[in-house]
Amino acid sequence: MQHQKKNRLAWLVLFTAPLTGALVVLISVLYGVKEMPLHTIWDVIFHYNATNVNHTILLSARLPRALAALLVGAFLAIAGAIMQGITRNYLASPSIMGVNDGSALVITLCMVLAPGLSGHMMIICSMAGSAVGAGIVFGFASLLRNGLAPVQLAIIGTVIGTFLSGFAAAFASYYQVSQNVSIWYNARMDGVDVHMLKLAVPLGIIGLVLAMAVSKSVTVMALGEEMAAGLGQKTFYIKLISMLSVVCLTGTAVALVGKIAFVGLVVPHITRFLIGVDYRLLIPCSAVIGGVFLCLSDVVSRFINAPFETPIGVVTAFIGVPFFLYLIWQKGGKKYAA
Amino acid sequence: MQHKLGLKLVRSGLIILAFLLLAIYLHITSGSYTMTLREIFRTLFGLNDDRKLELVIFQFRLPRIVIGALVGAGLGIAGAVMQGVTRNGLADPGILGINAGAGTAIVVYIFFFQEMIQSESIGGWLAVLMMPIFGFIGGLLVALLIFVFSWRQDTLDMQRLILTGIALGTGFGALSLYISLKMNANDFEMAAVWTSGSIYNANWIYIYAMLPWIICLGALLYRKSYLLNYFQLHDNSVRSLGIRNEKEKAILLLASIGLVSACVSVSGGIAFVGLIAPHISRRLVGNDYRYSMPISALTGMVLLVFCDYIAKTVFAPAELAVGIAVSIIGVPYFLYLLARANRGGG
Repeated sequence: MQHQKKNRLAWLVLFTAPLTGALVVLISVLYGVKEMPLHTIWDVIFHYNATNVNHTILLSARLPRALAALLVGAFLAIAGAIMQGITRNYLASPSIMGVNDGSALVITLCMVLAPGLSGHMMIICSMAGSAVGAGIVFGFASLLRNGLAPVQLAIIGTVIGTFLSGFAAAFASYYQVSQNVSIWYNARMDGVDVHMLKLAVPLGIIGLVLAMAVSKSVTVMALGEEMAAGLGQKTFYIKLISMLSVVCLTGTAVALVGKIAFVGLVVPHITRFLIGVDYRLLIPCSAVIGGVFLCLSDVVSRFINAPFETPIGVVTAFIGVPFFLYLIWQKGGKKYAA
Repeated sequence: MQHKLGLKLVRSGLIILAFLLLAIYLHITSGSYTMTLREIFRTLFGLNDDRKLELVIFQFRLPRIVIGALVGAGLGIAGAVMQGVTRNGLADPGILGINAGAGTAIVVYIFFFQEMIQSESIGGWLAVLMMPIFGFIGGLLVALLIFVFSWRQDTLDMQRLILTGIALGTGFGALSLYISLKMNANDFEMAAVWTSGSIYNANWIYIYAMLPWIICLGALLYRKSYLLNYFQLHDNSVRSLGIRNEKEKAILLLASIGLVSACVSVSGGIAFVGLIAPHISRRLVGNDYRYSMPISALTGMVLLVFCDYIAKTVFAPAELAVGIAVSIIGVPYFLYLLARANRGGG
């Protein structure tokens, strides 16, 4: 009964996704330092005028930004959901596990050593960085007894993340590109590269397909690795595919807008609360909720210190930290079994 | 036995002092204006009337070294106390978020009294002297929150303690970033100082502001250091020894938060010094806090002066924030500690 209700909610979220997505994009496009009347959108679609300032702002600044927020939110939420599933660790997420930091480090290196890199290469580098970050953190954690337990992994991830971003900051200040790099770090949503946005869509689809391919197995894995192996799951391949998906999604997200914390942590929890633990539904619903969440956070970030923009990471931290505290309060050092 | 320990203490003390002198020598002689040891000594004792040397040494290099040493000592002591009271070898003011809380309070203070601080009058002095007090309030707030969140069944839950610290640190870091951007939206560097820690803009006023705190609280904590030895026992045994457990713990923690706030008000949040220094000192002189606390202070000094030397020179003429240098050196050591603790059945 309860289960059925949750299932219905999940399908509701998925079917209304295009509508909610369109709605938040609309909000994001209309509100900002310069308010747009609603009919501007109509005008842009049907008789676009390149000399009209409003039209240009809308099409070349607001729209890419809204879409980027939507995509990045979805990517990070999917990545977080998968990580939480396969590690059975309620604190797993791209920002806490050093994946973001690895990606940002490699991007810094690229900006320093090969300035003017194309969007393709940037995304590939960023993915390589995610893989390096995740590799170091999980590699080190699995060397330790008990290393994959929530607290240990969170500490290792945070500390290695500090280390990687320390290196990034060192390189940046050595080559005096601090200014450029701090844009990456603080995830300012302005200046999203339209070209990169176009590249991000297919990569996101690849990540989503990979995630969905393993989603059924992740549901089983979340019960426990021995259980999964006993039920005939090839845990190694599932982990491998999951990591590929995480690297693909996080790498693309960081290349698009920089490091954004807490989305990957918070959204899967909210989604799990709403629709239950079936990862076949959890993953796509997380994507929808994550996209909407980040897009709205972006709108908020334009207003809390108007006319200046606040880094979006600050907004997500204000929402994410109390949630994080709540999780710790509730669960402490325990592993969760769902 | 006592005699042997005393010998060990003197010997390790001397070794660390030698390292400290080496670090100071490296720090004071190097930089964009190199000078010889002879010149430095002559200037320090006023035998040299070269105005340029005097300016470089007394206005730029010496304050920076003194602040580095004071901050290092403060963090070393505070780290030792926090590790002793929480009985957790991974406790550190940076990891527990105390740094971030104090930093936020100070940023708030600067936000309201910005003009006063920048003026050269008596008011400006007072404003700077007040900074550690505000930092103390912020640090205290974080400490209280940590306790509220990690208090379970009448004891501190260590895992919750660290996680809460990490969470609060991130949150307050975001808050300071927000406030400092509100002050000056274009100044990322200024905001970065509070999150990563830097002492490059050292001057004598800051030293006067933090010195009383370091001396008073350092002395208080040293006097109470014997208590930390008892706290390594089970709570009930401590109580049966006639020690007012909770009250003494509270005093120790408050004093160490005060120390951290004084440090943060000058240097911003520098993590890992408070973590590493106590470990090194325990390795040198053992677990007795009466000996390991002063050694920890000295180790902190060496660490910070040396890291600042690295931060100053390695990418010269560009400067690295000292906090970043410390974390690049500190993280591998932290991971090593974690691995060792795990192997040892932890």
